[in-house]
Amino acid sequence: MATTLPTWTALGPALLLGITALVLLIVDSIDPDTSNSTLLAGLSTVGSLAAFLFAGWLLVSGTGQPQTGGAITLFDDQLVVDGMSLFFALIVTSVATLVTVASHDYIADQPYQAEYYSLVMMAATGMTLMGSANSLATGFVSLELASLPSYALVTFLKKNRGSVEAGLKYFLIGALSSAVLAYGISLVYAASGHLQFDAVASAVANTEFVGVLGIGVLFVLGGFAFKTASVPFHFWAPEAYEGAPAPISAFLSSASKAAGFVLAFRVFTTAFPELAGLAGGPVTVDWVLAVEVLAVLTMFVGNFAAATQEKVKRMLAYSSVGHAGYVLIGLAALGGAPDKGFVLGASMMHLFIYGFMNTGAFLFIGLTEYWDIGRTFQDFNGLAKQAPLASVAMTVFLFSLAGLPIGGGFFSKFYLLAATAQSGTWILGAALIINSALSLFYYTRVVKAMWIEEPVNDFEIDSYPAGIYTAVIVAAVITFLLLPAFGLLSPSAVTGAAALF
Amino acid sequence: MAIQVQYYLLLSAAMFCIGLFGILTRRNALLFLMSVELMLNAANVNLVAFSFQYGNITGQVFSLFTMALAAAEVAVGIGIILVLYRNFKDVDVTKAATMRW
Repeated sequence: MATTLPTWTALGPALLLGITALVLLIVDSIDPDTSNSTLLAGLSTVGSLAAFLFAGWLLVSGTGQPQTGGAITLFDDQLVVDGMSLFFALIVTSVATLVTVASHDYIADQPYQAEYYSLVMMAATGMTLMGSANSLATGFVSLELASLPSYALVTFLKKNRGSVEAGLKYFLIGALSSAVLAYGISLVYAASGHLQFDAVASAVANTEFVGVLGIGVLFVLGGFAFKTASVPFHFWAPEAYEGAPAPISAFLSSASKAAGFVLAFRVFTTAFPELAGLAGGPVTVDWVLAVEVLAVLTMFVGNFAAATQEKVKRMLAYSSVGHAGYVLIGLAALGGAPDKGFVLGASMMHLFIYGFMNTGAFLFIGLTEYWDIGRTFQDFNGLAKQAPLASVAMTVFLFSLAGLPIGGGFFSKFYLLAATAQSGTWILGAALIINSALSLFYYTRVVKAMWIEEPVNDFEIDSYPAGIYTAVIVAAVITFLLLPAFGLLSPSAVTGAAALF
Repeated sequence: MAIQVQYYLLLSAAMFCIGLFGILTRRNALLFLMSVELMLNAANVNLVAFSFQYGNITGQVFSLFTMALAAAEVAVGIGIILVLYRNFKDVDVTKAATMRW
């Protein structure tokens, strides 16, 4: 680059999101009773879109990547900006944009809208920072910055018992898992004397407290399992996603999950690679094996539970647990893989595409909640006659989630399968194939209800909310476009991941 | 050093387990919050003790962050418990079970 921006601008996406949150609070303090949802949704959409474009520009111009001199570290190595953090900033901001656009109609009748958008932006700030965290301290603080607004957002419909119950369960399990994570971090600190990832990595290589360290690593893994909705801390997910307002379910199941994964990727590949022998040394704490077990369990639990659900939103919630299992392959298959960047990059690509297809699917549920047509599979019968465009979009999402070549989900699952083949972890590959086949069964139930079945109840759809429609259709178009355009993005994911090893 | 560092680990492990026991057995949401606080303070004991042991203040500073976060978490938690009470007329966490587990 001819002119170089100061290094702090590499944090631009997070800063833009944070500023947007504060601007929304200022608007709220000037006019506390405002219900001008167009202004509020517009501001937050502009903010998150600006953050998205800025992150995209930084990624394309090579900021923090090997060709421009490697990762940019800030604040005494506490934060880092590199290919991976920018890639995840892209995921979080794109989901946040879709969610704020869709919320315009969804919460139009609710009070406290400025707080809602402000909390969404704060949570997005935390999630973006999680991608940049380079120390257990900043990682923990940004994880909480993402979590605390999420609890409030899930409980946003204060008079709706489902929403309150969902928020309570999410909060209780979230508080428990953050305590577990904090305790795990304290044990890692006890064994190493450091919190910064590189310093931890060099200190744990010859620590005398291997037992303490092992428990610490497992606790940290447990804390991340909560954030990513993986077994054993997955059981909040179906409750929280079912009870929460649908745009918030979309936000949590896509962006929050991605943020949990990026922190897990960074912690385990930069702070603990030696423990599992990834750098060629002896294996002391075999977290790769632990993640492998968790990945297989998460895939099976998520998909089998999804197959038995009666409500579409709950089915999607369990399928989101199953997808966390697919993404865990990126860590679980690191063991014997010759090209570790490809393995982790496959997971990152899956999260990126998942960000669009899953957000879109939950926003479609938001659309049906807006129409108030019911929550079970039967209630969706004959929906395609009334709302063909949205039904086409939903079909694209569901088949892409299942891994059919109608959206980018096909290639990302293919990459994950190739990653398991490369590392020789055949059990992960087999679990991926079995569960994808199973998932096709329950996704098809929704498609069948929408397109083939005759409607049971007579319902008339009298309004077509522009905001939710726009978000759903944009998400569908991008999901579809990511099929041909997969090759454009995957190199940046793979090089971003490869820079960690 | 007067006290060996293993005893701090034992103390914190005991606090953590008491907190965990409280979470698993208590039905009152407020007691649940207190148990979580106990677990977070178990982490703080470790951090401060090993900060002293290693002679760097990283752990002490992080324990300040943990305390601040615990306070923020309680603030959000009390808010949620308040709406729980308004909707279910109780702060029993097992009462809020309209959705199937």
